[in-house]
Amino acid sequence: MRSKSDTNGDTASLKKRKREPKDDSAQSQQKKHRRKTKQEKADALNGQGADQTSHTNDTNLQPINGHSGLSGVSSQSQWKVQPPMGGRMLNIDPIFSPDEKFLIITYNTSIQVFSIESSLPIRRIPIPLTETDDENATTPAHIVSTSLSKTEGGYIWVACSDGRIWNINWRLGTGSDTPFTITSSNLVDMSVDAIDLPNSKIDVLLILQKTASSSSQIFAYTRESLLEGKGEGLLLHSFDESPQMLRFAASGRLVVAAAKTALHIGHLKASKITSIDTLKFDFHSFDLPDIISSLDVRPVLKDKKLIRADVVVGCARGAIYLYNDVLSGIAERTLQPRKLHWHRRVVHSVKLSRDGNYLISGGAETVLVLWQIDAGRTETLPHLSATIENITISPRGSSYAVHLDDNSTMVLSTAEMKPTMYVSGIQSLVLEETPSKESLVRRVWRSADEISAPVVATSNPRNPSQMFLCVGNGQQATQGAGTTVSAPLVQVFDLASFQGVAKHAIARTNATKANITRDGVPIMEPTATSLSFSQDGKWLASIDEWQPPERDTAAFLTGSKTIAEAARQRKEIYLKFWEVHEDNSLELVTRVNEAHHTDLPQAIFDVASDPVSSRFATIGNDGVVRFWSTQYRMRDGLAVKGHDGEPLRSWYCSRAVTLPVREKQEDIVEETRKVFHSGAVAYSEDGSILFAAYRVSTEGLVVAIDTQTGTIRDVVSGIIRGEVRSIQSMGSCLILLSEDIAVYDTVSDELLYSYKLKDTSCAAKRLAQLAVNHQSRTFALVAPVPHPRQDKLKKGARSELTVFSLEDQEPQLVQSFPHLITSVLAAPGSSGFVVVDSAAQIWAVTDAVEQPVILKSMDDLNMDDTAETQPVQDALVLQDEEISDEEMEDADQMEVDDDDHAAVVAQQHVVQTFNVAPTFAFAPLDGSFSVMAAMWSAKPAYSE
Amino acid sequence: MAAEVQPLPLVKLPSGPSPVTPEQRYWRSFKNQKSHTSTATWPISHISFPAQTGAVLSNSMVAATKLNDLFAVTSGPRVDIFSIRKRELLKTIGRFDSEAHSGEIRADGRVLVAGEDSGKMQVFDVGGGTRAVILKTWHIHKQPVWVTKWSPTELTTLMSCSDDKTVRLWDLPSNNPSHTFTGHSDYVRSGAFIPGGNSNMLVTGSYDETVRVWDARTPGGSVFTFKHKDPIEEVLPLPGGTTLLAASGNTISVLDLVAAKPLRLITNHQKTVTSLSLASNGKRVVSGSLDGHVKVFETSNWNVVFGSKYPSPILSLSVIAAGAAQEDRHLAVGMQSGVLAIRTKLSGAAAEKARERAAIEAAIGTSALDKIDARNAKRKRAAVSNKNMDMLGENVDVIIPTSDTGSRKKKLKPWQRNYKDGFYAACLDEVIDMSGPEYQPLVALTVLVALRHRSALREALEGRDEVSIIPLLKWVSKYIVDPRYLSICVDVSFHLYDLYSEHVAGNSELAELFQALLGKVSRAASKAQAAIEVAGMLETLTLGNN
Repeated sequence: MRSKSDTNGDTASLKKRKREPKDDSAQSQQKKHRRKTKQEKADALNGQGADQTSHTNDTNLQPINGHSGLSGVSSQSQWKVQPPMGGRMLNIDPIFSPDEKFLIITYNTSIQVFSIESSLPIRRIPIPLTETDDENATTPAHIVSTSLSKTEGGYIWVACSDGRIWNINWRLGTGSDTPFTITSSNLVDMSVDAIDLPNSKIDVLLILQKTASSSSQIFAYTRESLLEGKGEGLLLHSFDESPQMLRFAASGRLVVAAAKTALHIGHLKASKITSIDTLKFDFHSFDLPDIISSLDVRPVLKDKKLIRADVVVGCARGAIYLYNDVLSGIAERTLQPRKLHWHRRVVHSVKLSRDGNYLISGGAETVLVLWQIDAGRTETLPHLSATIENITISPRGSSYAVHLDDNSTMVLSTAEMKPTMYVSGIQSLVLEETPSKESLVRRVWRSADEISAPVVATSNPRNPSQMFLCVGNGQQATQGAGTTVSAPLVQVFDLASFQGVAKHAIARTNATKANITRDGVPIMEPTATSLSFSQDGKWLASIDEWQPPERDTAAFLTGSKTIAEAARQRKEIYLKFWEVHEDNSLELVTRVNEAHHTDLPQAIFDVASDPVSSRFATIGNDGVVRFWSTQYRMRDGLAVKGHDGEPLRSWYCSRAVTLPVREKQEDIVEETRKVFHSGAVAYSEDGSILFAAYRVSTEGLVVAIDTQTGTIRDVVSGIIRGEVRSIQSMGSCLILLSEDIAVYDTVSDELLYSYKLKDTSCAAKRLAQLAVNHQSRTFALVAPVPHPRQDKLKKGARSELTVFSLEDQEPQLVQSFPHLITSVLAAPGSSGFVVVDSAAQIWAVTDAVEQPVILKSMDDLNMDDTAETQPVQDALVLQDEEISDEEMEDADQMEVDDDDHAAVVAQQHVVQTFNVAPTFAFAPLDGSFSVMAAMWSAKPAYSE
Repeated sequence: MAAEVQPLPLVKLPSGPSPVTPEQRYWRSFKNQKSHTSTATWPISHISFPAQTGAVLSNSMVAATKLNDLFAVTSGPRVDIFSIRKRELLKTIGRFDSEAHSGEIRADGRVLVAGEDSGKMQVFDVGGGTRAVILKTWHIHKQPVWVTKWSPTELTTLMSCSDDKTVRLWDLPSNNPSHTFTGHSDYVRSGAFIPGGNSNMLVTGSYDETVRVWDARTPGGSVFTFKHKDPIEEVLPLPGGTTLLAASGNTISVLDLVAAKPLRLITNHQKTVTSLSLASNGKRVVSGSLDGHVKVFETSNWNVVFGSKYPSPILSLSVIAAGAAQEDRHLAVGMQSGVLAIRTKLSGAAAEKARERAAIEAAIGTSALDKIDARNAKRKRAAVSNKNMDMLGENVDVIIPTSDTGSRKKKLKPWQRNYKDGFYAACLDEVIDMSGPEYQPLVALTVLVALRHRSALREALEGRDEVSIIPLLKWVSKYIVDPRYLSICVDVSFHLYDLYSEHVAGNSELAELFQALLGKVSRAASKAQAAIEVAGMLETLTLGNN
């Protein structure tokens, strides 16, 4: 693998900045700064950076240590990037294991197995998708279909769009490294069914692929033909329409393929199949009045004969068409569908129940609709948390698995409609590989296909393993209207148990209301733009913004006002202070409507929390820094008490400091108001100084404000270039992120070093982020690297993470990531960083010197090697007892006496054991092992 | 996993300085003043009611609550006994040779003790006929006896303070004092038992400007002395027994017995503070002064939470508590003019009845009366059916209700239903109907803001006829001057202008309403203009300072 940085230590996204000492003599009150001028190296080298790094993939990322030949990089810095965790659930039906004990969910980069009983992850099987990734492809290879083998319940078939097919044993996690390859570059769907041959039963894979611009072919493969590696399968059918979906059912007797607006139904010609080569189907096709968005087939077999097949089709404009007994309908030319129309928008998923009496469907209305087919009545389960993407009915029909757009899947019992299992992954802004079903129809709005702002994230100081992320009601709702992001929720994600723990609404949400207007435009929710915890974790400050969409303000135009101005005038910016209770629930204590305002409400650029006391500071567009303190609410000198008798607190602005604007030339006509473009604030580590960096008019300034007196101690100019993105304070140094990353020593008053961000497109600048780890005295810079042929941060864009140490001007680590990084956080209580990317994966970047890092991904956990030879039931008993404990690799050596009663261990106890720290900063393994062992080895009190 | 549907929450406007605090509301609810003028307008020197203490209650709860219906008012040479419940004069004890002081009823409500100017102390039977029977007379004090008080814990123990500079403890059956405390160097005009001290600890205040604490177990002088600047008019121990209040001149001092130091000096009165009383189960202290003011203090930081003015100098006051929970019932204030003013807080059923009566009075002559009647009839029916339900249950142990009434969903109001179903125009019509019985401007604001958030404001305003625009215009004209409503009113009027301007010419009423709106806005604009001028002037001023 090639080094990802050239010999100068310059990286793809950074280049060393040449700085000439500026002549500051005109400004007597300003200080002159001695700057280290750096030799600018040939830029030609830098241009290749992005290409050099683009060959990395998920599994074999290797950090560059020491930068061979570089002086100044200490050889003991051993920064490492751990393999990623998590991911985003794909729009592929979740799979129930045949015994309904496990749920297999397809993620964008892995297959994950969850226990239905405990909701805990059992295994993560990474799928090495990017191995053959062509850097020219704008749509990278992605998994298109996952299907359970109909002959062996322990295997699944996974198809990738570039023609790779994996046969994976999900119980053992094997098979992900040896894909079969077929000669197809545009696989659309795959369906698997078992066919009875005279002496055996074999899996037959039907592949739907797009050949030319709008023609499709269906091929059949068997395991044998794949093994032979012929590449070519048996062509069953081809048609000249663009393919959508494929279903293979009734023991290989029925094929249903959906084109854009037509169905192709194939019926097995022969009554018996003697060999795979004789597989032939009679195909009939008919048109539908609308674009097909979902499909389900329910065959009825009698004496190994297909006597009836019901087909149900969900359409892009909300109608569901039900074809009862489609075969006789075709034969007798009396095909008449039943139209069921409840959905307003695309039917994302529709399924027929096992007995054929019910339909179950869902879509962007976030309502699960149950249709009684005979009575024509509907029952609904409304107000789910996000768009329903997929529905699967369990093999026994006793439960539904529902995959929602907010990266969660739940299993509902059909009897009570109560969830029995809930898996919630991390929500991030995601660039989907495949367009959403919502985009099948042209709409009055377009959802965003780029990421223009980071996901606001922070970690809870009281419980360091918990991340708080500002998210929306699912991906589609978040990026719904294209221009702005709506993110009114905070997701609490526990890194230790790797589960979403809770979601809190910190602004108005549409969770229980219609989410589109009468005109069919999504209603935008407020966007949370900042989150900050107080140092003790008891308080949370949040900022959210909302402004009416411009189409609503067309009536408000007067004079020369533009629509955008009219909308801005009605902007609502709230600064909210929340009390964080022990159980992580949030209680709104104070809401400040216009914390920063002139004649208009002004944007709040940044909020910082005091590292020594419960105080916050904000900087706003009005050029004022405000300090916020808490006090007991008093009335007539009495503390006001709440219902529980506890005195109530409130937050107030304890001080406002107007930021100085340097008078430039006298001859410039005095502006009525200086325009503040951007700003950021940071407290010094002892809380005595607040640093405010801001850009006013054309100049960037850094101001040090005494937090006790509110006096301005120092004004520094000339170290900010362009818009201020972030400022952080560490020791005596300030780290400033603008178009440069600069480290400035406030004591010696000199610029230690600075780098220039290479990519300065608007979106790239906005996504550049800075995180500081005070424990290891390091900071991480994240800069996006757009795809070479795109200017916006769309699919194919990557990110680069650079870790710097304060003392050393050479980067400690330069690492390219295969996806855009949406958030970067210092890992609290550890020396590393946590990175969330646009594939909803979490990466841990750690300093290996500090401590042995333990991040055993789930695939390292051996379940039971003998599972294949043992009866399935026994293997699963063992698995139950080692529930998902990713760290417990010795579990298989634990003796389990079958005659004994299993120890009763509450799930929360297990979680607590691992809740102490982030997974990658975990305490010694033996300690947790003995705790776990004690839990299970203890005999329950009531056992004989 | 499905989210719970919450009704639309009301918009929360900035609170600002609250015009009425809950404390003020509480004390203002003492109304229904009843005045009683004493015979020959003798100044009312003392008001007291038997304190209900645990010791007495445990003896006979029922008797105590029954008998605790009395309070005593001392004025001139008489002690009047009133009923707490009826606020009526029940009995007058006039068997005094000279001016009476400190008529106090014992905790069991059977006997009353009072001192007088002659130095006599007498114990009367409260019950019985109109003429009170003297049960006991002591004539040991040679100077006027100003304080006689029953021990809160022992029924036969009492104390007295006299102008002969002595403080004495008495046992009811014996003829001589059980203890005599000497040490004050001037008249002793106030005193009390310190709670929790088993009748051993006394506190007294004297015109020698000292507050002294006495302990019957310690022979000799006082165990504690606090020197003040002015003569002490009143002392009041707080329930904990460690804090004392003493009224000295126009100040009230808060004294801590444990730390042995004064905690605070309250200087809210202009003239001599004459009386102190506990209220709200010891959580508040009420003081009365010669300046005619009654002030209520909270007991943690001693801030005034309420005050009121009486027409004459106040000599005595008491917050009379009653009932099992000892809730404040009356605020009785006795004045120099001989007027006893009793203000009463209605509680529970009585308050409900008063509200009902007020509602009926307000509704007479309007259609609302029918509604009240209908509601009453419904209540009556519900009560009857409940009774029937009880009858059903005669032979069974437990009745299981058919539906869980507790968790039944609250019925949505029509506007909430319309809002939920997306009938925004109908919803808006309902909330801006200013003549409606449930009209609240905040609800209207809430709905309008919610419509703006849902991009449905225009939809709700579209397609109206003359009749349905008029209430909207009226609403906007009324509220556009309120800064909290301004933004949304501006949006509504822009939309109305945009949608209906072409119809104004043909409709005189509509034109009139738009004219009215114009008038309102231009007046407000001229006011704003004036404010801007002042702002500009001040700006130049501050610029000069810089």
